[in-house]
Amino acid sequence: MSNANPVIGSVLVVGGGIAGMQSALDLANSGYYVYLLEKSPSIGGVMSQLDKTFPTNDCAM
Amino acid sequence: MNIELKTLCEIRDIRGEAGNFQVEIVQNPRYIDESKCIACGACAEKCPKKVKDPYNMGLSQRKSVYVEYAQAVPLKYAIDANTCIYLQKKKCGACKKICPTGAVDFDQKPETVMLNVGSVILSPGFAPFNPEKFDNYQYAKYPNVVTSLEFERILSASGPTMGHVSRISDHQSPKKIAWFQCVGSRDMNKCDHSYCSSVCCMYAIKEAVIAKEHEGDSLDCAIFFMDMRTHGKEFERFYDSARNKHGIRFIRSRVHTITQIPETDDLEVRYITEAGDLKTEVFNMIVLSIGMETSPEVVSLAKRLGIALTPGNFCETSSFEPVSTSRAGVYVSGSFQGPKDIPQAVIDSSAAASACGEILSAARNTLTKVPEIVPETDIAGERPRIGVFVCRCGINIAGVVDVPSVAEYAKTLPFVEFTSDNLYSCSQDNQDSITQLIKEKNLNRIVVAACTPKTHEPLFQETLISAGLNKYLFEMANIRNHDSWVHKSTPELATQKAKDLVRSAVAKVALTQPLKEAELQVNQTALVIGGGISGMAAAGSLARQGYHTHIVEKSAQLGGQALNLFQTAKGERIQEKLSELIASVAQNSRIQVHLNTTLGQVNGFVGNFKTTLSTTGSEQVVEHGIAVIATGASPHVPTEYDYGKDRRIITSLELDKKLMEKDESLKSLAAAVFIQCVGSREPERLYCSRVCCTHSIDNALELKEKNPDMNVYILYRDIRTYGEREYLYKKAREKGVIFIRYSLDNKPQVVRNNGKLVVKVTDHILGRPMELETELITLATAIIPNRDEKLASFFKVPLNADGFFVERHAKLGPSEFATDGVFLCGTAHYPKPIDESIVQGKAAASRAVTLLARENIHTSGTIAEVVPTVCSSCGVCVSICPYSAPSFIEATARFNPGKAQINPVLCKGCGLCVASCRSGAIRLKGFDNDQIFAQIFALNEAV
Amino acid sequence: MTEFEPKIVSFLCNWCSYGAADLAGVGRMEYPSNIRVIRIPCTGRMSPKFFLSALSEGADAVWVSG
Repeated sequence: MSNANPVIGSVLVVGGGIAGMQSALDLANSGYYVYLLEKSPSIGGVMSQLDKTFPTNDCAM
Repeated sequence: MNIELKTLCEIRDIRGEAGNFQVEIVQNPRYIDESKCIACGACAEKCPKKVKDPYNMGLSQRKSVYVEYAQAVPLKYAIDANTCIYLQKKKCGACKKICPTGAVDFDQKPETVMLNVGSVILSPGFAPFNPEKFDNYQYAKYPNVVTSLEFERILSASGPTMGHVSRISDHQSPKKIAWFQCVGSRDMNKCDHSYCSSVCCMYAIKEAVIAKEHEGDSLDCAIFFMDMRTHGKEFERFYDSARNKHGIRFIRSRVHTITQIPETDDLEVRYITEAGDLKTEVFNMIVLSIGMETSPEVVSLAKRLGIALTPGNFCETSSFEPVSTSRAGVYVSGSFQGPKDIPQAVIDSSAAASACGEILSAARNTLTKVPEIVPETDIAGERPRIGVFVCRCGINIAGVVDVPSVAEYAKTLPFVEFTSDNLYSCSQDNQDSITQLIKEKNLNRIVVAACTPKTHEPLFQETLISAGLNKYLFEMANIRNHDSWVHKSTPELATQKAKDLVRSAVAKVALTQPLKEAELQVNQTALVIGGGISGMAAAGSLARQGYHTHIVEKSAQLGGQALNLFQTAKGERIQEKLSELIASVAQNSRIQVHLNTTLGQVNGFVGNFKTTLSTTGSEQVVEHGIAVIATGASPHVPTEYDYGKDRRIITSLELDKKLMEKDESLKSLAAAVFIQCVGSREPERLYCSRVCCTHSIDNALELKEKNPDMNVYILYRDIRTYGEREYLYKKAREKGVIFIRYSLDNKPQVVRNNGKLVVKVTDHILGRPMELETELITLATAIIPNRDEKLASFFKVPLNADGFFVERHAKLGPSEFATDGVFLCGTAHYPKPIDESIVQGKAAASRAVTLLARENIHTSGTIAEVVPTVCSSCGVCVSICPYSAPSFIEATARFNPGKAQINPVLCKGCGLCVASCRSGAIRLKGFDNDQIFAQIFALNEAV
Repeated sequence: MTEFEPKIVSFLCNWCSYGAADLAGVGRMEYPSNIRVIRIPCTGRMSPKFFLSALSEGADAVWVSG
C-alpha cells in the first residue's frame, strides 16, 4: 500500500483484560510499540477473578 | 519491553485518522510512586481503613491501600482515593510513615497525556450484570442468593472462603445448590437484554462440577435453564459428563420466584416441570448466572469516539470485517465486540492485532526498542569464581532472616569469591553495582539470594548480559517467598533454611556452563493450506503485512464451503462478499494461489519448512517459514429422515442453493419443516455444530418473507442462537415460526405416503404426538471434520477424538499448535460461522507474524541434548515429546545413523525425554543430572 | 528427646507448583520450615535417581509436585 502520509508504528490498546493483553503481546512481538491502557491499577480483567475455566477446568490465573 | 502499561488511565478523545491518531488520555493518580514501590505490603498492613474488596465481589475486605490480587501486574500498591482517610479528611497518613522507600505521594493529581499512535484497539470488556433490580430473585435481600461471579470467588482457593463452598448467611456448607440461567440475558421484560450472553450455560456447569469436586458427591446441584447452550469445542462432552458422570440435575424451567425460609435462610423455589406440574423445592443456596453487558462508561466512550453500536450496545461490526469498528483505524476485540468466551476473545484480539499490522506494516520496527549487545566474555577453562548477593528486600527478608550472617556464611562456601548484602537487590543502583563487581572481581558465576526467579531471574540475567557474562551462569536462592514470608515465627530456622538454599544454589551454579542460544533464520514466506474463507483471510492478512504467501487449494477454485452459503446471520449476502475476497486474493501480488494442489511431503521445522506441492501430476518444492492449516470441514451426508429418497427432503446447504438461485417454487410452499441436530449431538458425534440453529432460523425467516402464510416449523433440541444471534430467534417467533422441541430418544419421523410428506413429532408442551404435513424438509446437517491424518503427521500436530485439529491451548492458544510455526484457523479447528472463520484466519496470521517478524529465532539455552554414543535408538523420546523435538538421524547418515537427535529449535526444555531415556543418553542443559545431584548433596548438611 | 522433625526435599515444577509456593509466600501463609525446594523445569524431568539420592542423603521424605 502506498501512503502519502507516513504511518505511526505504535498502537493504543484500550483495556487490559485477556483480550487487550493478547492484542498487546501480538503487536509488540510483531514490531510495534504498544500502549496498554487500563482503568484499574492492574491488568488482568475479569478473567483474573475466575477460579477455573471450562471445559478443561484449567486454573484461570 | 515494547508494551508500556498505562494503568489507572482513561481515554478521553481520539483525533486524527487511521495511521496517525492523537489520543488524549487521563492518567488518574495512584498516590504511590510506581518506581519506588517494592510491593512489600507494609502500607496495607498499617492502613486502618477497611473496605469491601471488589476483587472478591465484596465478599471480603481489603484496605484502602491495596493491590487487587497477589499476582497483580504491575505489582504496585494503589490508594483508593474514595475511601482513604488522608485523602478524604487529611488525617492519618500511616502508610506514608511506614513505607520504607518513600513511595506514598498524596500530592499526585490527574494528568492529561497525549499519545501519538497509528491505530487503536478497543477491548474494554464487559460489566457483569447486576441483578439487584430483579425483585423476584431477591438478590439484594437474601444473603444466600449470590451471583455466579461471587460464586466463582467462593470456589477460588485465593477467595474469601479459601475455596470452601459456604453460605454467606451462616458460613455453613450447602447441601443443595441451584443455578438460575439467563439472569440479565434473553430477557426483554426486566432488563432490556434480548441477547444471549453465550458463556453462562458453560460456566454454570463448570461451577456445579467444581463445587461437587470441592464438597463431594453428596452435594446436590441443579441447573434451571431454557436452552442449554454448549456450542463450543468439547463443550457438549462437558455437558454430557456433568449430567451422566457428575449427576448434575438439569431442569428446563424458568423459575419465577424465590422465598426465603426465615429460620434457616434456605430458599424455596417454585417451578413448573416439563411435564407441566408445579413443583416446590428447597435449596440452601442459589447462584444467579448473570450475563454480560456493556457498561454505561463504555457506551458513552463509544459515543464520544464516534463508534457505532448494536441494539445490545456492543460494537457494530460486519461479518466480513469482524474486528473493524465504524471508524477507520479503530478496531475492536473481546466482549465489547459481542458476548463471548475466552478463546473467542483471544482469537478476536489476535485478529485485531493483524488488522493494525495490515495498515501499519510500513512503520514496523520504527518505534520499538532493541537491547544493546555486549560481547560475551569467554570463561572456558576458568575455575568458578562465584559472587553471592543476599537481598534484605527492605524488611521483607531482613525482618525474619539474619541477612548479614547468611552473606557471611556464603563466603565459606567453595568457589565463592565475593559476597554482599543489599537493601534491594533489584534496584537499578544494585544492577550497576553487580555489573561493576563482575568486572572488578572477575566473577564468572552469580547467585542472588532474594525473591523468586519466576519474576526476577530475567532482570538479573539482563545484568549478567550487560556485564558480558553468559546469562545462564546464574542461579537464584528464593529466601523470601519460600522462606522469610512463610516462616515468620521461626526466624532462626528461617535463617538456617536461607543458608541451605544459598548452599544449594552455589553448588548448582558452580557446575553451570555457558549455554549457547542457537540462532536460526526464519524464512519470510508463508504457506496456507486451504483456500476457503479462513485460509483466504489468513493469506490476505499475511500478504498485507508484507509476507509472500502461498495458498494451496485441493479443488479447482477458491472459496471452500462459503461458496455454498446464502447469507450471514447479519443478513449480508455471502456470494457478493466472497467474490470480492477471492478477487482481492487473486490480485494480490504477494499471494501465489495453487489450485488443484495437494501436499506431497513436508520436511523441516519452524522457520525452515520445505513442502512438496503436487499439482495434477507436476511437483514443486516450496520453502516457507510458517504454515497455516485451514483445511476446513465437510457437510454431513445424512442417512436418516429418508434423505436421498425424496427430492423434497434436502439439507441446509441445498436450501441455501435454492435461495441463491431464487427458486420460485419456494414461494408456493404451504408448509416447511426444519429438523435440527441431524448428525450433531449424537452419541457417536458428541459435539454441537454451532451454526445450524442460526442457519435454519435465518432460512425460516427467509421463507416467511417470501410467503408469510407458509407454516414453518423448526424441530429442535436446544436453540443455540448465541450472542446477538438471539435476535433472529426472537424475530422468528414474532413472525410465527413454530418451534417444537424433541429429545434424542424421541426423534421426529418422516413418513411418505401416497406422495404426501408428513413429519411426526411429539409436541413438548402438549406432550401429544403431532403430524405436520409439509412440502419441504430441511435437515440441519452436522459439520464434520476431514480427519486429515496425513496432514497431521506431516506437521506433527494432533487430532481430537472427533477428528478436529487440537490447538495449543483451549483457552489461550486457539489459533496455533503446540508445534512451533504451525497455525490453525476455520472449521478445521471446530465448526464456526463466516465471521468467526474470518476472525480466526486473521488471528492465525497475527500469531504467524509474531514469528516471522523476528526474522531470527533464538533457541533457549536450557534444552535437551543426545549423547549419540549412549543412545540405543529405542525411540521413547521420539514418541513421548509433546513438541516433536526428537527424531531419528537417517539410517544412511554418515555419523550416528539411527540415533536420536533433538531439534534445539523445537525443544522446550521440559526434560520429559531426559527422564524417560532408558539409556541415560539425554542430558538437559542447565538442569543437568550433576547439577541436580549437587543440589541434593548440598542439602545433605541440612537434612 | 526432642520431637521428630522430618526433613523433606521437594522437587517443584517451575511452571506450577514452584509458582504456587511463591504465592503461598505472597499470601503470607505460614508453614513449617522443614522443606527445601529444588526447582525443576517440569516434573517430566524427575528421575527415580533423584528420589533415591535425596533419601540416601538423609531426607525423610521426598515431595514431587507439578
